[in-house]
Amino acid sequence: MFEKMQRAFWKALTPDLVVDEPQVVAQVVSGLAPEVVAALGGVDNLKSQQPVALTRVRVELRDGARMDRQALTVAGVPGVMMLDDGVVHLITGLT
Amino acid sequence: MQASGHAISITDENGVQVLMHIGLDTVNLAGKGFTRLVEEGQQVDVGQALIEFDVDFVALNARSLLTLMLVVSGEPFTWLTPPSGLVDSGQPLLSLNPVEQTSQKLVPEEGDAVFSQPVTLANPNGLHARPAAVFAQAAKGFSASIYLHKKQESANAKSLVAIMALQTAHGEVVQVSAAGPDAEAAITVLADLLLTGCGEAVASAQVQAEVQAKPMEAQSLTVLRGVCASPGSAFGQVVQLTEQKLEVNEFGVTQQVERDHLSRGLAEASQALQQLCENAKGSGQADIFKAHQELLEDPGLLEAAHVLIDEGKSAGFAWRAATESTATLFKSLGNALLAERAADLSDVGQRVLKLILGIRDQAMELPEGAILIAEQLTPSQTAGLDTCKVLGFATVGGGATSHVAILARAFGLPAICGLPAQVLTLANGTQVLLDADKGELQLDPDLAAIEQLRTRRRLERQRQQHELAHASVAACTRDGHHVEVTANIASLAEAEQAVALGGEGVGLLRSEFLYLDRNHAPSHDEQASTYSDIAKALGPARNLVVRTLDVGGDKPLAYVPMDSETNPFLGLRGIRLCLERPQLLRDQFRAILSSAGLARLHIMLPMVTQLSELRLARQLLEEEALALGLTQLPKLGIMIEVPAAALMADLFAPEVDFFSIGTNDLTQYTLAMDRDHPRLASQADSFHPSVLRLIASTVKAAHAHGKWVGVCGAMASETLAVPLLLGLGVDELSASVPLIPAIKAAVREVDLADCRAIAQQVLGLESAEQVREALRLHHEATVDTSRVLEN
Repeated sequence: MFEKMQRAFWKALTPDLVVDEPQVVAQVVSGLAPEVVAALGGVDNLKSQQPVALTRVRVELRDGARMDRQALTVAGVPGVMMLDDGVVHLITGLT
Repeated sequence: MQASGHAISITDENGVQVLMHIGLDTVNLAGKGFTRLVEEGQQVDVGQALIEFDVDFVALNARSLLTLMLVVSGEPFTWLTPPSGLVDSGQPLLSLNPVEQTSQKLVPEEGDAVFSQPVTLANPNGLHARPAAVFAQAAKGFSASIYLHKKQESANAKSLVAIMALQTAHGEVVQVSAAGPDAEAAITVLADLLLTGCGEAVASAQVQAEVQAKPMEAQSLTVLRGVCASPGSAFGQVVQLTEQKLEVNEFGVTQQVERDHLSRGLAEASQALQQLCENAKGSGQADIFKAHQELLEDPGLLEAAHVLIDEGKSAGFAWRAATESTATLFKSLGNALLAERAADLSDVGQRVLKLILGIRDQAMELPEGAILIAEQLTPSQTAGLDTCKVLGFATVGGGATSHVAILARAFGLPAICGLPAQVLTLANGTQVLLDADKGELQLDPDLAAIEQLRTRRRLERQRQQHELAHASVAACTRDGHHVEVTANIASLAEAEQAVALGGEGVGLLRSEFLYLDRNHAPSHDEQASTYSDIAKALGPARNLVVRTLDVGGDKPLAYVPMDSETNPFLGLRGIRLCLERPQLLRDQFRAILSSAGLARLHIMLPMVTQLSELRLARQLLEEEALALGLTQLPKLGIMIEVPAAALMADLFAPEVDFFSIGTNDLTQYTLAMDRDHPRLASQADSFHPSVLRLIASTVKAAHAHGKWVGVCGAMASETLAVPLLLGLGVDELSASVPLIPAIKAAVREVDLADCRAIAQQVLGLESAEQVREALRLHHEATVDTSRVLEN
């Protein structure tokens, strides 16, 4: 609903300035700090990563065991949820 | 429990009720990803799991996992979360504090509500938890029903949560209203409590004095200052607009009756909005109502209301709770645009609520010559206005994108935003002079001032006719120097209009317009044909300056995904973004180059800071031109809008063909002030001597290398700036299309030698106000007198 609101109003109010909110598209590594990538087991361990749900970054790891939970905290990721099949949610909060 | 299993509400024996809603827009998942662990009506225990959900599925398929908890019955609560804000699954979040006086049900109001004087909050963080608790506690001591009002919003003063949800801030103006036997006493005590900080240490003696001094100050003050939202001036009488507070019963009849009630209200509101859309003057207003209509169909909002109806609430109560809580959420997200949209949500909320309650809006009886004054005008308030009787608007809130600004411009009425809150204390019927050009509301205008205004208006009309009649005449100063006056455009239609109004070319084509409303990049052919059409409309004798894609975090583009930035104005914008995605820039260059020869083609790069950016872009351009077999490159220039580029103009000049100064961004970067900031907007003025000095040195550097300099920011559309910019040596003024005749006329009025003198003089002044004043005096002394002599 936020998206819809924003789109409708931005268009109405600043027709020549603002366009749709950028869509979230998977991009490997860009958007993740190098320390975070390292804590996740390095670039080679990343199958995919994408921002989701406004507050999270969803990463798929080839090998979940190579992730260093401690190092993620040190790298400034406030919360981490480990899910099935090597899927990990980095909870970054509203930015 | 919601059928789709993503929301649940719990009620205890004493009627305390808490609603939990997992994620945003999760209703669209229709139950997928959620597993219900309890049944409807089941007794549950502390710590018992209620719903299990597949985090990954929801994260991938719904808007967000942000989860709302709402204490529907309004009891105070205490946070149990650690200061870090991080919690674990199963950890208690808050504890509800039972209230002794549990009769939270709305007491029907007895008699009319009494209002306190407006109070300016002295608490450094507004009424946050502690002072809010003190205030609510004090309010509970009275039997009257009491509300705390802030702008159009209000909160039950006996509910801590409601007060906190108002999100009051330091310096904000609030009012207390009460209805019931001890209303007067409640008002006195509570207003006093607010003044003294509700138990929080504020410099209370000082605050008292300040507040007591206020009414007197308002009387002795003769001028209130704000920001011009729509130019012009008017003399008329004050009419204060306030939004009425509606009373609703909390509990409904049956779920079916209330659901019908709500859908009827929504349908009627939708119909009314459709009507307003069709009758709207100008597309800006119509778009607002269209957006309001969309809101009525918003699944999240409807669902929230239905959840409450299912719990036995009335349609009105459910709808109000749904809209208000969402509006609060919008405000808390820390996005200025979204926060402003919360006002729209309240507006729609109020419209539907009135229909549910069967309250018909009476067309407000306005006296002749009304100057409408409000905290902030909502679209609904303004739509029904008899605009024949309205002469102007003056509001406390609002900025460049506020409704009042859009509306006033659509009607051609003067308007001022950002006035001090004192304006709300002016009595209805007070005679005032609204001088939007100066951003002033004069409270005690004398007859001479009014006569002056009338004469000015008559002269303005004459001048406009004269300007339009001479639009096609070249813009040459009295001593014979030609200045190129061109247009800022964003479409083919504007290009044609610009030529018709005497535009000598296009000084700024905002190429972003090609890319609006897209989820994918426009094809090469599509881009190429648009550029060619515009170039053809201008012809080979006129300049066409195409600015390459100027987007970034502040104006995102759908198919150019970007990470969100904490400070988009200082982030990947303009050329920075294009060089990150060079293919985008190459494609655009190729499309622009296909119009070579049809007009005098110029390409301009936005937001250039480093020489390397210019060199890299030039290399890409040369490669594309070579690939197309072009022997002659189009002219390549840069925008001067980052102070770094202005300061290093002498190094940029040898490598460009021209500069164009974007005064809007140059001003906000030089003064470090957001031009849409409600408090700073009036100071973020391009006439500030620091900005003028940057313009002066840029021109000097360009001319030393034989390059020309244009100005394409808003400053070039201000007639007052014309002698100044000419005097600083600017060669081209690119104005917004409708103002081209006025700018050309302003050029023809001045003498370049005079302009140089005044420009040198103002460079040494202290502030933008001083510069504007000096230019006004100069205008009166030179132009006005010479016109009198000629007649």
